[in-house]
Amino acid sequence: MKRIIVDADRCSGCRLCEAVCSFAHENVFGSSVSRVTVVKEDVFGFDMPITCWHCRRCLPMETCPSKALKRNSEGLIYAIKEECIGCGKCVKACRVGAIKLHPGMHTPLICDQCGGKPLCVRKCPTKALTYSKTRMQRPRLPGKVLEETLRKWGIIA
Amino acid sequence: MEFLGGRGFNSARLYPEVLANVGPLSPENKLMFATGPLVGTAFPLGARFNVSAKSPLTGILGDSNAGGHFAAEMKFAGYDQIIIEGRSPKPCLIFVHDRETQILDAAHLVGKDVYETTEIVRKDLDRRVQVATVGPAAENLVPYSGIFANLARPAARTGMGTVMASKNLKAIVLMGTGGVKIADSGAFWRIVEEVEEATYAHPQYWPRRVMGTTRILSLANNMGFLPTRHFTSATFEHTTEVSGERLAREYNVKNRACFSCIVPCSRIYVIREGDYAGLYGEGPEYEALSSFTARVGNSNLNLALKAVDLANKLGLDAITTAECIAWAMELHERGELSKKETDGLELNWGNGKTILELIEKIAYRKGFGDLLADGVRRAAERLGRGKEIAFHVKGLELIQADPRGLKGYGLGYAVSSRGADHLRSEPFLELSDDPDEGIEKFGIPEATLRLAHRGKGRLVRYFEDWCAVVDSLEICKNLAENMELLPLKRAAEITEVVTGFHFTKESMSEIGERIVNLERAYIVRQGITRKDDNLPQRFLKEPLPDGNSKGAVFEMELMLNEYYAERGWDSNGIPKPQKLREIHLEHVVKDLREMRSKPKRKRIRRTDIRCNTLKR
Repeated sequence: MKRIIVDADRCSGCRLCEAVCSFAHENVFGSSVSRVTVVKEDVFGFDMPITCWHCRRCLPMETCPSKALKRNSEGLIYAIKEECIGCGKCVKACRVGAIKLHPGMHTPLICDQCGGKPLCVRKCPTKALTYSKTRMQRPRLPGKVLEETLRKWGIIA
Repeated sequence: MEFLGGRGFNSARLYPEVLANVGPLSPENKLMFATGPLVGTAFPLGARFNVSAKSPLTGILGDSNAGGHFAAEMKFAGYDQIIIEGRSPKPCLIFVHDRETQILDAAHLVGKDVYETTEIVRKDLDRRVQVATVGPAAENLVPYSGIFANLARPAARTGMGTVMASKNLKAIVLMGTGGVKIADSGAFWRIVEEVEEATYAHPQYWPRRVMGTTRILSLANNMGFLPTRHFTSATFEHTTEVSGERLAREYNVKNRACFSCIVPCSRIYVIREGDYAGLYGEGPEYEALSSFTARVGNSNLNLALKAVDLANKLGLDAITTAECIAWAMELHERGELSKKETDGLELNWGNGKTILELIEKIAYRKGFGDLLADGVRRAAERLGRGKEIAFHVKGLELIQADPRGLKGYGLGYAVSSRGADHLRSEPFLELSDDPDEGIEKFGIPEATLRLAHRGKGRLVRYFEDWCAVVDSLEICKNLAENMELLPLKRAAEITEVVTGFHFTKESMSEIGERIVNLERAYIVRQGITRKDDNLPQRFLKEPLPDGNSKGAVFEMELMLNEYYAERGWDSNGIPKPQKLREIHLEHVVKDLREMRSKPKRKRIRRTDIRCNTLKR
């Protein structure tokens, strides 16, 4: 399946993806309601957007006590708002940190790939986000990418 | 509507609330953070904020502007302006989380540098918070310390950090979960696409993305206005070793951007070998890079990066710090400053060890550093020497461009409402040296010739109004103005679709004019008149010794007369009542009437000063 692939080296950390995502889904510019989140480490100048990879084995889906997380025919995970009890266990269960709760409604915000034309990918000024088929089953974890990047830059041995 | 936001908001508030008798470091001074109407949206030209207060460095209007992600967070938390009044009895920090505001104890942060403070606050409160903090220099009340957001995004000029520290406030921490709504989304995306298209096709897009503003260093050297060795020369023989090109080629590993900006012009550098190997950080921009290379005669790029990093860490304004050091170096080179007076420091040009040591000494007010820690104007007064080479206007130190090679910029320094600074006007058009532009836009061919004097009044006035609008919308001046991506017409359109209020090109220009005039009124109330709208003597008398602007001097009077006439100010630089009424500043008229009556009696003295200038 097609996935949103992240290249942290290219990401400038401008968070335009967050802005356009929140506007496309909630009609308001605000990072707290975007389905994509840029992880930032100012000390190292590290930036990496994170969004749901729709992993084949989804821990939040297994953890959800009310079974509100489902997978559709295309393999995308989505939340049924009516069944969600807002416990936030999915947020903790996701190892990538791709899920956050809507600050008002306390339901999970999960990337829906904008129905096949992700806006964040289209608007990314540095092409850090691409949308294509990949065989990778799991996304790369930000902590690991940070470590690799710092090694590449020669900041840590 | 009348002031748009950002700088306009701050100036409008400062004028009635911080009066002439308020001491800059007293609890009565007010520190204002403001951001603009376009911030927080996906408008792709950055998101900035202004900090204003009465300046402890200049005693007049203090105002500085910074980018990063702080401004957007302010909007998400639901604020356009944050004003800090009074003084806390003990060190504290302010934590704003949406509608909740807490004042927390900051005893554990006292003495910590900018990087440490930001890290500790993020660890204690939340990784995602945005922090604006001050360094040890501010705590030691060095009057040119800045407020730092995102570690290396300082609002550094005019000592706003010092005002913050005088209130016993170590940091402002923001976290917002709200959002920004806009009035007309269809039109918004249409304009955004236009701007995006224009940006990506712009000839400066790639140079800026690769080098940021550091590309100016080679340019300034070629055109002959690089402030080499404290403005004693206009070209630097080591330019290629310290240029932005070299930085990009050998040091930079990645680009970064402010919130929602599509030109990631900030760069992360890593020093891989040589001195200070292993040092990394964000930046520097042209002003800081040139500060610690050409201005102090240093040809070691690694050392310059270390110096910028140190100044950031300690919370100093790089431009002013470098001017103070370069001033002492020139005095030393002339033999007017002995080793005894400088705690044994060797102050020869480009002495790296001295530069680093002095930065630290200034921040902690140790020994000779204490003399330099009050800015170059007061240092010259205290020392009783070197007054004529203390390069400041109204107490604010000159930036990194020699006004003899850039006449419009020079006029901009002289009349700017915060002192010698280019960001109030930035008439970049004169760099084109294209007379056709001058005829088309200003009706005077010389207006856009950088070495000519005529027509600069009109040029500077036009750009000042534009800059005031850009500062009030709080977007990036590099993109909006220097790359001409946001002419006033487009600014009116985008502000209209975001806010829902009606704006036109003319009303935008009027807002700019109103802000400039109000700020002028503010500094006139502090006693500023024509005599203060001047440049240091070197620029008026000594011709540039080398480079592509060789032989140029600066003729102040002609340009100043032209500028005052364009502005509708009287010959003493005070806005006329008629002009103030025209732009709806009726409440200012009365205040200035008192100021105007005084100079009449002093007219003789004014001519005296002018005669003196001529005689000297």
